[in-house]
Amino acid sequence: MSEAQQTAAPSPKSGAAPSPRRADAILRATAIRKSFRAGERRLEVLHGIDLALERGELLGLMGASGAGKTTLLNILGLLDSPSSGEVHLDGQSAWRLPPTERARLRNAKIGFVFQFYHLLSELDAVENVLLPAMIAHSRRDYQQRKAAYVQKARDMLASFGLSERLDHRPTQLSGGEQQRVAIARALLRDPDVLIADEPTGNLDSATGERVLELLLEEQRRRGISMLLVTHDERLAARCERVVYIEDGLVQADSRTPIPQ
Amino acid sequence: MFKTFLSLRYLRTRRTNWIGVSGIFVAVAALIMILSIMAGFLQESRDTLRGSLSDLIVQPRFDTPGRDGRPLLKDGAKTLEIVRADPRVAAACLELQWFGLLTMEGRQMILSDPMMAGMSGVHLVGIDVEDELATTDLRAALEAPPRVAVQRVVDVEDPFRAPPTFDPGDDVPRPRVVVGEQLASRWGMSWGDEITIGTAVFDPQTGEPSDYNSMDFQVAGTFRSKENEADLGRIYLDRRDLADLLGLDADYNTVLVRLHDYERHKRAVVADLRERLAAANLLHPPDSSVGRWEVLTWEDFRRNLLAAIQNEKALMGVMLSLVLVVAGFTVFAILSMMVSEKRRDIGILCALGSTSRGVLALFLMIGAWEAVVGAGLGTLAGILGATYIDSIELWLSSTFGIQIFDRGVYLFDHIPHVIDPLGVALIVLGAVVCTLAFAALPAWRASRLNPIDALRYE
Repeated sequence: MSEAQQTAAPSPKSGAAPSPRRADAILRATAIRKSFRAGERRLEVLHGIDLALERGELLGLMGASGAGKTTLLNILGLLDSPSSGEVHLDGQSAWRLPPTERARLRNAKIGFVFQFYHLLSELDAVENVLLPAMIAHSRRDYQQRKAAYVQKARDMLASFGLSERLDHRPTQLSGGEQQRVAIARALLRDPDVLIADEPTGNLDSATGERVLELLLEEQRRRGISMLLVTHDERLAARCERVVYIEDGLVQADSRTPIPQ
Repeated sequence: MFKTFLSLRYLRTRRTNWIGVSGIFVAVAALIMILSIMAGFLQESRDTLRGSLSDLIVQPRFDTPGRDGRPLLKDGAKTLEIVRADPRVAAACLELQWFGLLTMEGRQMILSDPMMAGMSGVHLVGIDVEDELATTDLRAALEAPPRVAVQRVVDVEDPFRAPPTFDPGDDVPRPRVVVGEQLASRWGMSWGDEITIGTAVFDPQTGEPSDYNSMDFQVAGTFRSKENEADLGRIYLDRRDLADLLGLDADYNTVLVRLHDYERHKRAVVADLRERLAAANLLHPPDSSVGRWEVLTWEDFRRNLLAAIQNEKALMGVMLSLVLVVAGFTVFAILSMMVSEKRRDIGILCALGSTSRGVLALFLMIGAWEAVVGAGLGTLAGILGATYIDSIELWLSSTFGIQIFDRGVYLFDHIPHVIDPLGVALIVLGAVVCTLAFAALPAWRASRLNPIDALRYE
């Protein structure tokens, strides 16, 4: 599928725009700036970033610590507002929506996988996976769909090799297991975009490799877009396209290399 | 949906939440128990205040002749007839009340102790037995088990009947009286004892004391009312005997009226009786300055004391509500702690699509569950505690060997309680509102958390 989209992608306009634009980009950031107030001074972290994530694309986001990767990711994930610029998710200008609509959009279209898994310690594996569905629906709607969701969550966990761990709490799971639960949670609502922030950063290399395999396999199989933030060159090498962020700007895009 | 699910889960899995629940539980249970028991005491005080009165009291002025020149207080039968004609009236009786001095042969006068001076001021109440029994609580007073060693009357239906130890052959027959049990006990009276009651009589024209009349009576028995003062100084006698003693041109000065439904009809009946009795020239016209006071409900009659009781109850409720505030603080502290601890969870929920309003609702709901569970259990415990307070007190007293409630102090021998459903509902409502108010601040803080900061926190 990604192959098809690659071929469908129009060739970049020569030297005009710093990043490619396609009509069917699922997530597009335009001229994103972000500054923080640090005491008296304003500190600008992002200086106007343009970035488009195509449907089905696996995009790696690299950059040194403090380059602004996480800030950009939070803005793209609709968790943090840009100081200026726009984020379009599936054609909607997300930061122009009222907060409730934006939360709904985040729930329906974005799945997060965090470095530290971020599971709720009070809930068991299945309940953690079900959480996005519980957030999405009113009590009555959820009750009507509950059986289907529970089945889906159990199936997913089972296919991730966690069938013996369904009613275990996060503290009873290993790091790799927790991250697999988190991946299942991110996929429950069949999102259009997966945002993974150093998903293997907290795992040993063998476990990290297995988790990454699982993540990439699901991304390919479902044909969803994924934004993968990483330090790891080897990991980046597995992405179709890699964007380098430095000092709050896109310094390099593997598809449209900036002339040195 | 996640709010209900997660709030219940947090409530269940985090033990600190149960401190909040316990706080509310204790506060609600204590409030209900204390207010119910105090309401019981106040109810008893109210009953005491009502005492020997009936629902309504008609007291025509004694000094003023009626419009046709006849004294007002000679038309008892007519007054009764008018009162009883009202269908809302269940019963009515005439009384002639006066004050007298009691002396008894053989008692030494001890001037150094006025209470033992061989003479007592007494409140004389002349009654028609049958009417009185139908209208007032006299029957209960005659039947009440004695608290001191005294002799009750032989026959409640005819309290002035000769007592068994009395031999009428001994002496000339005397009119008989029924004496308050504490008065009888203090004077060492027993069946058939002879007492002398004297009284000053006033000249109706000049208003000066014009004579001192006295008569001998025989003790037929004793009574115990709920009024301490009555038991210490009241003597019941036949209304005609008292009229004889007074030698006045009056045979009643009070009419007591019992209604079928006091609460519903009291105001209307008071107004109607004023109207009708005045029209029959038995009272002053209702618009005159004295007429207003001639027909009263017993509550009007004891208005100040009743108002004092009501004040006491209201004030106590307000003071005790502070307990709820303390419980609210507990919830505030616990939820604040929880918001700090659960920063990461809040961030996760936001990332998964919850709004800040959802987070607010989640933490408010935790407060609400604490309030509902705490207040529910507290209500149950409070009602049970108030209902069985007597047994609880007895058990505590016997277990720890100390007397908590001295039953000798009061005229009732149990710990009274009145559970007022409205009061209980208000307490529960107060607990829930108070808890929610205290939960609001931490919940609001949780909703204001920036999910980014919350997630960065590891």
